[in-house]
Amino acid sequence: MNPAVTTEATAVSSRAVDVTKIFGEGDNAVRALDRVSVEFASGEFTGIMGPSGSGKSTLLHCLAGLDRITSGQVFLGDVEISACNEKRLTLIRRDRIGFVFQAYNLVPTLTALENITLPLALAGRKPEKGWLDTIVDTMGLRDRLSHRPSELSGGQQQRVAVARALVSRPAVIFADEPTGNLDSRSGAEILGFMRRAVDDLGQTVVMVTHDPGAAGQSDRVVFLGDGRIVDEMRSPTPDAILDRMKQLSE
Amino acid sequence: MLRLTVKSFLAHKVRFLLTAVAVILGVAFMSGTMVLSDTLKRTFDDLFANVFEGTDAYVRSTNVIDTPFGESRGRIPRSALATVEGVPGVEAASPDIQFFAQPVGDDGKAIGGQGPPSLGFNWTDSPELNTFRIVAGHPPRRDGEIVIDKGSADDGHIEVGDRITVLTQQAPKRYLVAGIARFGDADSPGGATITMFTTAEAARISGAGDELDGISVAAEPGVTQEEIRTRVARALPRHGFEVITGRDLTEENQNQVEEGLSFFNRALLIFAGVALLVGCFVIFNSFSIVVAQRSREMALLRAIGATGRQVTRSVLGESALVGLVASTIGLGAGVLLALALKSLLAAFGIDLPAAGVVVTTGTVVSALVVGTVVTVVSAVFPARRAAKVPPVAMMRAVAVEKPTRFRRRSVIGAGLILVGAALLAFGLFTDVDNRIAYVGVGALAVFFGVAVLGPILVRPASRILGAPMARFSGISGVLARENALRSPRRTAATSAALMIGVALVGFITIFAASTKDSIAVALKEAMRADFVIQPKGAFGGGPQTGFSPELAHDVAALPEVRTATGIRIGVADVDGSGQFLLALDPRRSDAVFDLDVKSGDFAALSPDGIAVSEKVADDHGWRVGSPIRLRTPERGTRTVRVEAVFGRGQQAGFTDYMISLAGFERSFANQLDAQVYILLAPGVSNEAGRRAIEKVVEAYPNAELKNQAEFRRSQEAQINQLVNLVYALLALAVIVALIGIANTLALSIHERTRELGLLRAVGMSRRQLRSSIRWESVIIALFGTALGLAVGIMFGWAVVRALRDQGITQFAIPPAQIVVIVVVAALAGVAAAHFPARRAAKLDVLQAVSSE
Repeated sequence: MNPAVTTEATAVSSRAVDVTKIFGEGDNAVRALDRVSVEFASGEFTGIMGPSGSGKSTLLHCLAGLDRITSGQVFLGDVEISACNEKRLTLIRRDRIGFVFQAYNLVPTLTALENITLPLALAGRKPEKGWLDTIVDTMGLRDRLSHRPSELSGGQQQRVAVARALVSRPAVIFADEPTGNLDSRSGAEILGFMRRAVDDLGQTVVMVTHDPGAAGQSDRVVFLGDGRIVDEMRSPTPDAILDRMKQLSE
Repeated sequence: MLRLTVKSFLAHKVRFLLTAVAVILGVAFMSGTMVLSDTLKRTFDDLFANVFEGTDAYVRSTNVIDTPFGESRGRIPRSALATVEGVPGVEAASPDIQFFAQPVGDDGKAIGGQGPPSLGFNWTDSPELNTFRIVAGHPPRRDGEIVIDKGSADDGHIEVGDRITVLTQQAPKRYLVAGIARFGDADSPGGATITMFTTAEAARISGAGDELDGISVAAEPGVTQEEIRTRVARALPRHGFEVITGRDLTEENQNQVEEGLSFFNRALLIFAGVALLVGCFVIFNSFSIVVAQRSREMALLRAIGATGRQVTRSVLGESALVGLVASTIGLGAGVLLALALKSLLAAFGIDLPAAGVVVTTGTVVSALVVGTVVTVVSAVFPARRAAKVPPVAMMRAVAVEKPTRFRRRSVIGAGLILVGAALLAFGLFTDVDNRIAYVGVGALAVFFGVAVLGPILVRPASRILGAPMARFSGISGVLARENALRSPRRTAATSAALMIGVALVGFITIFAASTKDSIAVALKEAMRADFVIQPKGAFGGGPQTGFSPELAHDVAALPEVRTATGIRIGVADVDGSGQFLLALDPRRSDAVFDLDVKSGDFAALSPDGIAVSEKVADDHGWRVGSPIRLRTPERGTRTVRVEAVFGRGQQAGFTDYMISLAGFERSFANQLDAQVYILLAPGVSNEAGRRAIEKVVEAYPNAELKNQAEFRRSQEAQINQLVNLVYALLALAVIVALIGIANTLALSIHERTRELGLLRAVGMSRRQLRSSIRWESVIIALFGTALGLAVGIMFGWAVVRALRDQGITQFAIPPAQIVVIVVVAALAGVAAAHFPARRAAKLDVLQAVSSE
């Protein structure tokens, strides 16, 4: 079963077409993604869920151009990033994609503000004052800007990471277990901020998580199992997700 | 624990390789020097033992002036030869005459004169006593015939039957090459140029007349060397003669070579020592970083019950293993280096007959011991730090550098610098024994002091150095600056290694510039001559070279020339200490020099008089009319009177003792003008004067005519040559320091894998990443250079001040060369970052971000 997933949204930010990813060779080959086709609409918050080993992180890495696919196509907007060379990919990551990792998101030698504006600095651009102010205020970081990461709490560090992901107004923000290392309160806070990034700032977020509570904040959840998309759910609630997950692991 | 030590060593092979290179280079240089010097010593020992095999005794004058700058011996009367020949048991006795002689090759250029001396001998008829063996042609049978050594013959493309000019203290003369000879197994005695004449011609050229330099004696079979020595000595008058055995003569010659070699040996070992010192910093730093990175592993060991001492021993064991492996490789490299240097020497005409090299047990032991000890000692601090890692550190994610203890550091660092400066001053400005030792230890203390202060200075220095990078290179520059600041101790230790090399380069640069300025000032103040005739070749053609007085005579006779005087230099014992005596024509000196005569009548200086500088006159309480005991090789000890006191002594780059040419002729055996000073007649243009003088100089292929500016430049060129040699030797220390920078960067990058992955993930290009690491390297290199230049300027100033009385009157910091040093250091920083930067840029982004 391989249902083609379609959405009603007008614009598509990120798209995978028939993507297969095989790790290793010969007898050791592992099919992490198996002919996956999926689209992520602009202005939507999508969660990717699945049991461990289901290929959810690999999908995210491939969508973000961090990992090469074995076959198929990956698009960011109109650009086929699966056909781009490393140089071009770097520029796309810098200008069109935002990242939030589980941990070690920040450069320890730079201040919070410098970390936020890092992608712009790499591009040699000045931040847009209004947009930067909006992000900083949305993330509640105004009084933390001159602090180094070591002087920030885990939650604050992730907020800086989200702010950095937003700063270049990327086509899409990819978040890999952004709340995985946080206590539940800080985790909820981060999810709230990402929700606001979508609702208030019109951004697109694709988030890998194994926490049904976190996924419950999204507009849509895509379920992966054994490298295939097995289901999806619109306007999910944590309970519905939990049920679905239970079925999947049976 | 031993197994763990070995396993850990094997697991981190690559990491230790860079550390080992620092040791390998230093040990290679050290053992290479030792092997080369042992090889040369053995070669010359064999050579002398071979050539003096038939010599059983040697007769010579007792009057010898032996000073640190050379030996000169008087002559003995020729009548002694008959006496010696009449001694029972003497089979053969051969006269010995030595003087300056330089043959001219078929291209019109003088042969040799680039270091090894150019000598003339009389041909020894007795085959037993002759140190040379004819390989082509025959011995000189007439006064117009000569034999030359094979090395020089090959050099000048000279064959038996050629007619060549030979330059001596007489007018240049053409001779027929009757034969070509070898010195034992060598083409020439250590690269010297030897021309051999008939004994009569040798006596004429040398002006020895009824005198000889010595007599070689061969005994009849059955008569021992000691016996013949005693018999000959008894037959000769008691005073004035010295008789030694052939073995003693051999040993004396061997020792002379050994002395010369040991100077060369020590000089090279100093540079090897500097490289090893720099290596210490590199090793210290590498082990510190490795220990910090492995603190989790250390903590795990502690947690499962290893004692702190065991952890320390494990790290020290690793360092001993690294040291041993590295010094073994270094020893091998050293032997290869010695072979390479040997062929290099051969290429420079220093002829070495026997093949192969001599590797003594001493060399092997010292290479292994020094290399291992240096490594272990450098690892002591890091090893002790490893023991202090608490078991709980296992649970912590990253090793955090303890904040620098500013107060303690500043006190210790400043204290070391002060003690070092005091020792330096003590060695430089007082008359204690072992001044060099004080200077060396003082310099060492200053280096360590600055290294201790380093971490305190890193912050402000990186801010300043990083500012332009952040401005022009954007985020790459900012990251470079911040990374350099990240671990001040690491950055400081890495820079400290470079600091030492740069300090010595800076010191030499400043010292050379000051010397050049001093020469320029001395020439400007004292030189009135329009032209100088100088021997050609490196360092003025070596110690025993010059021109026939005929040259000055012929130049003085030119209508374009108002005055010309040659100057001669001899070594004499003045009032109990060995000194250079400079001789010139007193009536002409005023025309070519402004000696600033203070009292007496210099122009009237008599053959039995001496002129001294105001400085030594003041020191000894001499004035015009004071008696001075003077001992010269030809006239022994006598009392001369001070006839003039002049202002420009050695302090002004001149000399402290002067005599007249007439006095010199009576005091010394050989008469060679070292230089000729010329003042043109009024109204003669420089060009016209040069044309006229060049015509005379043409007949002397070893002479070069220079005007004042050219003369100054040639003096500068000599200094430059020496300085370049020192630069080349210091390059080793700088290379070791650069390896240290590369090593630190590589280890830091390893540590920052995750962060680099993040930077690449959020859009840093490979180019930006590489440039960031390069800038970081440049900051480290420039920081080390800045510290080094500060120390180098201080050393330079101190040494220049200390040598003020020796004629170094000026202190100069040459801005252009300082800029060059800084630029080269920055470029070296870029070069050192090359491989680490490439490796960092090649990191797989996904792997890096997901690495532990």
